[in-house]
Amino acid sequence: MLAVEDLTVAYGDIAALHGVSLEVRQGETVALIGANGAGKTTLLQTISGLNAIRGGDIRFAGNSLKRLSCERRVRLGIAQAPEGRRIFPGLTVEENLVVATAAWRRPGGSYADELAFAFDLFPRLKERRRQLGWSLSGGEQQMLAIGRALMARPKLLLLDEPSLGLAPRLAEEVYERVGRIRESGLTILVVEQNTVLALAVADRGYVLETGRVVLAGPAAELKANPRVREAYLGR
Amino acid sequence: MADLIQLLTNGLALGSVYALAAIGFVIVYSATGVVNFAAGQFVMLGTFAGVATLVNAGWPLPVGYAGALALMALFGLLFYAVVYLPLGRSPVVTIIIGTVAIGITLQNAALLTFGSWPFRLPSPVEGMMLEVAGAVIPVHAVAVVVATAVLIGLMWLLLNRTALGIAMRAVAQDAKTARLMGLRVNALLAFTWVLAAVLAGIAGLMLGPMWFADVNMGDPIALKAFAATIIGGFGSLPGAIAGGLFVGLAEVLGASYVSSAYKDLIAFGAMILFLLLRPQGVFGERIQDRG
Repeated sequence: MLAVEDLTVAYGDIAALHGVSLEVRQGETVALIGANGAGKTTLLQTISGLNAIRGGDIRFAGNSLKRLSCERRVRLGIAQAPEGRRIFPGLTVEENLVVATAAWRRPGGSYADELAFAFDLFPRLKERRRQLGWSLSGGEQQMLAIGRALMARPKLLLLDEPSLGLAPRLAEEVYERVGRIRESGLTILVVEQNTVLALAVADRGYVLETGRVVLAGPAAELKANPRVREAYLGR
Repeated sequence: MADLIQLLTNGLALGSVYALAAIGFVIVYSATGVVNFAAGQFVMLGTFAGVATLVNAGWPLPVGYAGALALMALFGLLFYAVVYLPLGRSPVVTIIIGTVAIGITLQNAALLTFGSWPFRLPSPVEGMMLEVAGAVIPVHAVAVVVATAVLIGLMWLLLNRTALGIAMRAVAQDAKTARLMGLRVNALLAFTWVLAAVLAGIAGLMLGPMWFADVNMGDPIALKAFAATIIGGFGSLPGAIAGGLFVGLAEVLGASYVSSAYKDLIAFGAMILFLLLRPQGVFGERIQDRG
C-alpha cells in the first residue's frame, strides 16, 4: 500500500534521511522505532507532504506522491496524528473532530457514522465534546488526535509517538485502542520511542538510526534481536 | 438628556464603523499573524468603491452597494494573491512593512483616481430624522448600529456554526496541522482576506455619509481601529467590538463635553493606559497552552 523508495530528505544542507526504504502492506501494522533525532518524524511528515523530497520517491497504492499537496494526500487516504498531538486549542473536541472530515465531506453531508465510531472508541471524548481542546489532559488530547485522524476516513493511519509525554498507564491505554483500530482492518504506520509498546502492537518493524534503516523484520524477531534489546529495551 | 441621546447614538454609530474595521483587522491577524497596517485604507477604499458606483457611475442604491462590495471582495482576493502570497515565505515583519507600503500606495492611487476634493456619499435614508424623547437623531446612525449588530451576528454564526468558519478558525490556530487534516489552507486564507476586505467595505459605505469621502480618511480610521483592538484585547473578536464602541463613544462624547480639540485624547489615552497596565486588553486571550 505504501512504499518508501530510497528516500532522501534534507533541511538545507543537512540530510535528515539518507536513502530510506520501507514498505507497509494492506492491513498491516508497522512500527518504526529509533532514538530521538533518528528521522522518524521527518519521515512521517514527508509521507504527509510537509517536507520536500530531495531524492527517491514515495508511492501510495502504486502512485507517486511526489507532486501532490498535503491536502491531496489526505484525500487519497493518508491521515496523521502528529507528534505532540497538535490539537486545535480554541476548537471544541467535537469541532476538532469535524474539521478533519473536510477531506471527503460535501457541504451539508453527514459525518454521524464517523463521529459515532470515534466516540465509541474513545468514550471520554464524547463526555468532553463541548470542551475546548486546550483544556484536555495529555491522554485525552492524544485520543482526540487519533480520533481526529480517523475522521478523515483514512486508508493508512500515521501515528507519531502516541505515547509521548504520557504516564505509563495512559500510554498502555492508548496502545490498547491502537490495537482495536488495527483489528478493524486499518493499515497503520506507527513511529515510537517506546519500543515495547510499539512492537507489541505491530506485525513488522523497522529500526531507524541517524536517517538510515539499520534493521527490519517481523516484530517478534526484532523484540528478540540482541541489538534492539540492548539499545531500545534496556536489557 | 436630549443631547445625550443624540450623542450616544452618533457615538455608537461611529463606534460600529470602528468595530467593523477592527474585526477585519483581527480576523486577518489571527489567521495569518499579519498586523495589517493598510486596514484603514481598506475602509477608505470601501467608501470610494461606493463613490465610484453610486456617485460617478450613478447606479441605483442596491446595485451600487452590491457593486461596491463585489469590488471590495475582488480587492481582498487581489491583496491576498499579489501582496500576501508572494511575501508569504518572508518573516512576518517583512509582510507587515509590506502592508504599510501598500497602504501608502493605495492612498495615492485613490488620490490620483478621485482627486483631493472630498465627495459626499449618499445614504439610503438620506436626511431622514427620528425623534426620541425630544432628541433628533439621524436614521442613518440607527441603521448603522442595527446593520453592524446583524453583521456581527452573521459573523458569529459563520465562525461557530459552519464548516467553513470552523476550518477558518483551525487554520488561524495551527496552519501546519490544518494542512495535515486535509484543509485547503490557501483557499481559506484567501477567503479570510476577502472577508476582511468586504467588512472594511461595509464600514466604508456606512462611514461615507457620516464623514466626507476623502482619500486621507484611512489613517485616522486605522489608528482608531488599532486603539480599539488594543483596548478590547488583541486577537479577540468581542474585544474588537467593545473596543470599537468605546473609541467611538469616547470620540463623540469627548468632543462635546470636553473639547473637540482633545476628542481623540480619551481613546488614545485609554489605549496607552491599557498598554501599560493591562496589555492583554479587556477580553485577553481565551486560548491557553497547557504545560
